[in-house]
Amino acid sequence: MSPSWNQAEAPVRAAERGAPVSQRFSDQLIAVLPRLRRFARGLTGSATEADDLVQAACERALAREHQFQEGTRFDSWMFRIVQTVWIDQLRAREVRKEDTDVAEERLGSDAPVRTIEARLALAEVRRAVQFLPPDQRTTLMLVTVEGLSYKEAADVVGVPVGTIMSRLARARIALQQHLDTGGGSRRSVKNAEAQ
Amino acid sequence: MQKHSDESLVAYLDGELGGAERQHVEAWLAADAGARDRLAELAQSADLLRSAYADIVNETVPGRLIAAARGETGNAAPQHEAEILVLKRPPRRIVVTVPGGGWGIGVAAAAGLFGLVVGGAGSYLGTGLLNTASPAAEQRLAAAAANNTWLDNAAGYYKLAVSAGDSLALDVSANSDAREALQKVNLEKTPNLVPWGLNFRGARLVVVEGKPAVQLVYTTDNKAIGPLTLVIGSSKQPDIQRTFDRRQDVNLLYWRHQGRAYALVGQTDIGYLWGIANDVGWQLDAI
Repeated sequence: MSPSWNQAEAPVRAAERGAPVSQRFSDQLIAVLPRLRRFARGLTGSATEADDLVQAACERALAREHQFQEGTRFDSWMFRIVQTVWIDQLRAREVRKEDTDVAEERLGSDAPVRTIEARLALAEVRRAVQFLPPDQRTTLMLVTVEGLSYKEAADVVGVPVGTIMSRLARARIALQQHLDTGGGSRRSVKNAEAQ
Repeated sequence: MQKHSDESLVAYLDGELGGAERQHVEAWLAADAGARDRLAELAQSADLLRSAYADIVNETVPGRLIAAARGETGNAAPQHEAEILVLKRPPRRIVVTVPGGGWGIGVAAAAGLFGLVVGGAGSYLGTGLLNTASPAAEQRLAAAAANNTWLDNAAGYYKLAVSAGDSLALDVSANSDAREALQKVNLEKTPNLVPWGLNFRGARLVVVEGKPAVQLVYTTDNKAIGPLTLVIGSSKQPDIQRTFDRRQDVNLLYWRHQGRAYALVGQTDIGYLWGIANDVGWQLDAI
């Protein structure tokens, strides 16, 4: 067994840095971590990047703890922070993931299928999500996976409900095309982005 | 919104349509077999999507994320490393009287097995050995020294348990009635760590800082976790949150809560230790 941790990585409590964190706030944050990880996994397509994203979001949330309004949904507030940090990271990189590694992967044969569960592994579904443009991917994860209403998703993303509705429809259709046609992934992305 | 569109079908599936719009779509679906097929496809792909991400929420959350949520950062050294401790003379060996009646091994033996001079603080400290300028500083350093001793002992006991393997002498076996023995350290039950793949092998009654303590030994076939021990003893020190430390190749996650000191010890990474410590905390009402 070889421990991966070393003392240089040891944590220091916020209180020791002069920035006490309320227990209640931390508890809320810890409680929502599994869903944040899932949301981030959907956005980034990578377990490691997702955890990095969630960690960055936690740090930002703690720095803005005073901005959270009691009585509002904490998970939605955190989803918004994760999404904002992710967009910042995308802009910083100026590289879209679907233009690089994902484009080289195929989802299956070109033959259409009626029952997609029988042919595609769930990992391939997650890969298909990565072909979607970031705004559609975000909407799809918030509504279809995390179960937010259109209004709640609109609040998280900061757009009108109608925009959520159209983005979601385009995402679902594009995803459907991916799953039906497999190899037509590149075309589907371009179609989705063109709409 | 276009009435006959995928957009309206998706919104219908999501339950987002109002009365008039919903009735309109339902009328469309009733009249159009193609729309019904399309609706079924969309529903199917949505179910598949949810399934694709369902298991992620059941994964163990990495320790670094929990630490981040608690406002801890991974960029700084532990607080105790900042302490500069000056020894007047070489440390003396700690001598502890081992009570009779099955108490396993004393501090000296465990520390001796471990090599005595180990640890992040880099020093073994004893009362009266410190070159301090004020009573407050001396008190603080004495507390740090006691804490280091506690961790050294916990790590030493872990090493002892691992090196002894199957021949480890247990005071309480997994199959016996452990209640009487555990009551000696005011412990009513042992944590169930089977969900982590860890099986309770037994308990050893030990002495830490001259006080009775219990070392719970867990083994597993999971090489990513390996054997773990949980040392629980009484403490008059103030509560502290879970804190990481290390002794050679042994990781420790320790905390104090309501008169008890806990040290989870193993060679697995902090992510596992943190998750298991959470579980222990909930089961023993120790956080």
